[in-house]
Amino acid sequence: MRLSIDAGLKQNEIENFIQQLPPNVYKIVGGDTACIEVRIDNKLLILDAGTGFRRLGLDLLQKVNGKPISAHILLSHLHIDHINGIPFFVPGMLPGNKFLIYSTLENVKALLQQRQLKEYFPIPLPPAFEFIHCSSQFYIDDILIETIALNHPGGCTGFRITYQNKILVYASDSEYKNLSVEALQPYTDFFKGADVLIFDAQYTMLDNINKEDWGHSNIFCGIDMALEADVKQLVFTHHEPTYADEMLWKILLQAREYLNLQEDETNVQLLLAYEGLEISL
Amino acid sequence: MEISEERLEKVSRVKMKGRFDAHTTGEVEKFLREIIKDGRHCIILNMHEVPFIASAGLRIVLVLARELRKEHKGDLRLALLQPNVHRVFEISGLNNVISIFRDLGTATLSFSTDIYKNPKPESL
Repeated sequence: MRLSIDAGLKQNEIENFIQQLPPNVYKIVGGDTACIEVRIDNKLLILDAGTGFRRLGLDLLQKVNGKPISAHILLSHLHIDHINGIPFFVPGMLPGNKFLIYSTLENVKALLQQRQLKEYFPIPLPPAFEFIHCSSQFYIDDILIETIALNHPGGCTGFRITYQNKILVYASDSEYKNLSVEALQPYTDFFKGADVLIFDAQYTMLDNINKEDWGHSNIFCGIDMALEADVKQLVFTHHEPTYADEMLWKILLQAREYLNLQEDETNVQLLLAYEGLEISL
Repeated sequence: MEISEERLEKVSRVKMKGRFDAHTTGEVEKFLREIIKDGRHCIILNMHEVPFIASAGLRIVLVLARELRKEHKGDLRLALLQPNVHRVFEISGLNNVISIFRDLGTATLSFSTDIYKNPKPESL
């Protein structure tokens, strides 16, 4: 940047130059694990509490300026990459804050408390976290939440969030081995009409087959299911940690080309999840 | 999906007509598994009249090719792909592990010639 300014380039010229660079050069996908902030009017919902949850906590503290924070946290499952931010979530340690954790598991509180025994972490799970065992359908005020069991070792839950005709589906950590329309119907019904579908596309097609039963999916499967379900925006997430950013952006280009090869006209928009991505509905 | 088999001495040529996707994959898999059950382990898919392949089709091709190679010393090979279908194999990277031929004759011969034996076994 300094060199550019010294060379006499104007700020907008520098920004234009940056925008024209390949995305893997100017846009870092990032390595934080699952955590999605959902704002609905004055309600805060958080999907999973992976390492991104730590940074969200710091961000929340900056925004509220000392006022109490409350949020509803929907946990898909307890694999480490989905809960690792909890011990480092600073707002959870401050008095006056309240965080309701929803899970389809009945013993989630005990399991999370175990992870913060002193042998693992010096601070016990703070009382700011409260727990709700959620059913297949429930409300948070006027927000309808529906759940579905996904295919992942140890189990995983997908969430469909509906508010005033806007639909967000979070379906991370799931493998689809039988890709017949009949076998996929429970999932495509669950995804039906979603404005945004956040979908596990961890692997390439080949890695997906070679890592059978690891519980993850790929872009091709995601696109086909999104088309069947009339999804408007499909966000690929849960990136394979050994893939570099360059490869992830290449996978997105491959996904767009695959979509364009479909015979039918399609309107689904494909996005790659990266740290800081914001979508408004 | 219209699907039929032509049996040569060693090789089964399977002719398909229609989209190879989530709506047809069950039918195709059932048809191919019947052939394999019959002891026919060298199979060529003639995809000249397949205008599109979706993830469901890709998965079945890969899974059955792997099974045939590992369990029966056979293979599932493809011939006469439409450009769109060939491109899907390139995008997905499966062209690196599945043998694809421009014509049926070469595909058939590939099962009889040493140089084509297990041409692309890697990662499967």
